[in-house]
Amino acid sequence: MSVSGADRTRKLLTVGVGTVLIVVMGAVLIAGFRLATQMNANVAALQTASMLQTYPAALAQHLTSLRDRLEARAYAGQALADLRTTVESFDRDLKRLASGPAEGPMQIDQAMMLWRQYAPVLEPVLAFNGQPYIDTDEAGSVLSKEGLEHYADVKRAHLFARENADRLQGMLAAVATGLQQQASAQANRLRLLLSAGVIAALVLAVAAAYFQITRASHERAAREAQEQTRDILRTVKEGFFLLDAQYRIGSVWSDALTRLFGRQNFAGLPFEELLKDLVPASTLATAMKYIKLLWGDRAHENLMKSINPLGQLEVQVDNGRGGRETRYLQFDFHRVMGPKGVKHVLVSVSDITSNVLLARELQESQENASNQLDMVLGVLHVDPVQLSTFLDATEAGLQLINAILKEPARTDAEFRKKLDGLFRELHSIKGEASALNLMSIATRVHALEDAVSELKKRAELSGNDFLPLVLKLDELMAHIKTVRELGTRLATLRESALPARGASQGGGVDPNEEISRTLHSLADRLAAEHHKRFKLAINGLSEMPAAYRATIKDVLIQMLRNAAVHGIEPAEVRRASAKDDIGNVRVDFRRVSDGYELVFEDDGVGLSPEQLKAAAVRRGLITSDEAAEMDTRAAMALIFRPGFSTKDDVSMDAGRGVGMDVVARSIYALGGRIGVSTQPGRYTRFKIALPATEEHASTAVA
Amino acid sequence: MLQEHELKTFVEGTTNYFEVAAQQPATVGSPYLVTDGTPAVHDYTGIITITGKREGIVYFTAPRAMLTVLLMKMQESDFSHENMRDLVGEVANTISGNARRDFGSEFIISVPSVVSGEKSEIPLAPGARSFVIPINWRSHSAKLVVSLK
Repeated sequence: MSVSGADRTRKLLTVGVGTVLIVVMGAVLIAGFRLATQMNANVAALQTASMLQTYPAALAQHLTSLRDRLEARAYAGQALADLRTTVESFDRDLKRLASGPAEGPMQIDQAMMLWRQYAPVLEPVLAFNGQPYIDTDEAGSVLSKEGLEHYADVKRAHLFARENADRLQGMLAAVATGLQQQASAQANRLRLLLSAGVIAALVLAVAAAYFQITRASHERAAREAQEQTRDILRTVKEGFFLLDAQYRIGSVWSDALTRLFGRQNFAGLPFEELLKDLVPASTLATAMKYIKLLWGDRAHENLMKSINPLGQLEVQVDNGRGGRETRYLQFDFHRVMGPKGVKHVLVSVSDITSNVLLARELQESQENASNQLDMVLGVLHVDPVQLSTFLDATEAGLQLINAILKEPARTDAEFRKKLDGLFRELHSIKGEASALNLMSIATRVHALEDAVSELKKRAELSGNDFLPLVLKLDELMAHIKTVRELGTRLATLRESALPARGASQGGGVDPNEEISRTLHSLADRLAAEHHKRFKLAINGLSEMPAAYRATIKDVLIQMLRNAAVHGIEPAEVRRASAKDDIGNVRVDFRRVSDGYELVFEDDGVGLSPEQLKAAAVRRGLITSDEAAEMDTRAAMALIFRPGFSTKDDVSMDAGRGVGMDVVARSIYALGGRIGVSTQPGRYTRFKIALPATEEHASTAVA
Repeated sequence: MLQEHELKTFVEGTTNYFEVAAQQPATVGSPYLVTDGTPAVHDYTGIITITGKREGIVYFTAPRAMLTVLLMKMQESDFSHENMRDLVGEVANTISGNARRDFGSEFIISVPSVVSGEKSEIPLAPGARSFVIPINWRSHSAKLVVSLK
């Protein structure tokens, strides 16, 4: 601001002084030229005046000669011709002198007046053209009558000329002297003028030199400032540029911008154009709205900073090797104010990739640490034998998943076929992991399930879509391995710390007892997570034959989850329905004559056939026409259909649409049957009938 | 842990080769893991070794029949053992080029080496699970194996 003001003053001063000097020099030159012209005229006039001084005497002399010749009766023609020439010359030169450009002194007028007095006496003489003589025999040549008159004129003229010659000459001499004085004065003036001109020229030269010097120093300073700006722009790591009111980039930008955006020229480039290929259309639209806001006078800079949509922008840029790479850019906007409001917006762009990656790594490592702790705590709570059994089963499940993946597939149908199988296996693993409260495993399986669900929605499936699954599977397998190692180490630690207790327990835990414990632990967790209150009562599970153990455990876990999520109402709802705040979930296992019976019952909200039908229609399992025709029994059977769930939001415990169908299928696989009865608002009861096993048969026989 | 984009770079390198060399794109089959031992190898195998950010090997292994058809599609008439070896070497080289392009100096990638014979021993990094990605082209199937830690 101050630099440009001083610059303007300096420029104005230069122009002012220059103009004054040019005017002065011009005046000097014009005056000099006029003086020189006048002097030239004066010199010519002086010459004329000097020459004219000789004429009065010459006139008198010509008249004397004419008189003498007339007296001697000699030839007078030549003398008269000479007189005429002299008179004409004198008259002409005198008039020229009087009317000439040189300022004649006043004596010239006097000389003119005197000369005019010559005229009456000279005219008769000059006008004579007759024969002055006549020849007679007696007297010879005598003056004729007109000759006598002529002679008298000549004598008169001669007398007048002699009398006035000195006066006239004196006047002409005075004229010459006057002219000489004038010339001298003009010469003096010219000298003065030239001196003034020289001085003015010197002043001009000095001024020019001064301004040249100051200009050079200013230019040097400006150049240095420019170079410094250039150095800053070349060195700074951020991309800097200015945006004008039309959101176009100005003519100056830092070199970093070229590196960041991989292009050379930005001058006049619209900001929208700069971002167009780097960000999605929605981000671009938001960014442009934001820029427009910045031009508003009322926008508060700090507030604007907090809503900057380009604070961390993920962009794909050329990596210089022909490939693309992801970089993170941070755009900062600062308004440059002018006298009339916002003049420009200064934009700085920084590559914050390393910061973002570092922050991400930090977060990941924090999450890892927290996950590790969760995992340790989770493992600590699980009985070592139970953990080992679970890990064996899980590993087997994962191998099965891998086997499903390994099945060759080329078509969409072949790929799609894999998804259901994957889903069922994952769901079962997740259920067990949740039951044992091994959340680190359950979360990972849940993520895998999410990935599978995503794939189900895709229009066309290919092997590429399965790459994320196989990576997650790899990660899960690695995690299972870690948990196993941790479990082994903890078991060793426990054994060495509590040798006595280990010895007293001797034979280990009853597997059915273990299932009971798992279910109780799952019930506690579900109650806490879903803000429900209920009691779980388990009876007769010790009767369960080993052959059914794995399946029934999965089935009970699934049904317990459903009861906790869908069945048992929150305490306030129960109170409103005149029920006890604390709900009841009952598991009864018993032998019956032809096998076993398992009853799972909760005193919750029950099943509403209408709701079941509506949910099935929503999921596209049945049409609304089919729903209308369905009786209660058929509606209840809907819960065993694949893909059915009445819970809309997906939590880890229910609502994926896989659950009761898996339960039903595993019961059928054991040769059993499953039925459901309900009273809306009172209870839901599942009754499972299982055939007798060999174990049962042998006991019965015994 | 291997990242999805890293795996994709290797897969794209392989499928691109078929697209460019044979003017017929290859498709990706269902990927899976090999948890124990060495994944199966076919007649010809082009291997690149990787060190740096990740360590291990990536190889492309294809049966003779597939390579023969590939050579035919490429207007080649020489189906010699040497030419087959050169071909899998070239695929490995394309995979390596793709990886260099995408990962730059983070990965140090060796010059491809080639082994032939179904019983070939491929030196896998100990303890690394291998990702096997079937590469289907026409009626044939080759495998891309990524075994990195």
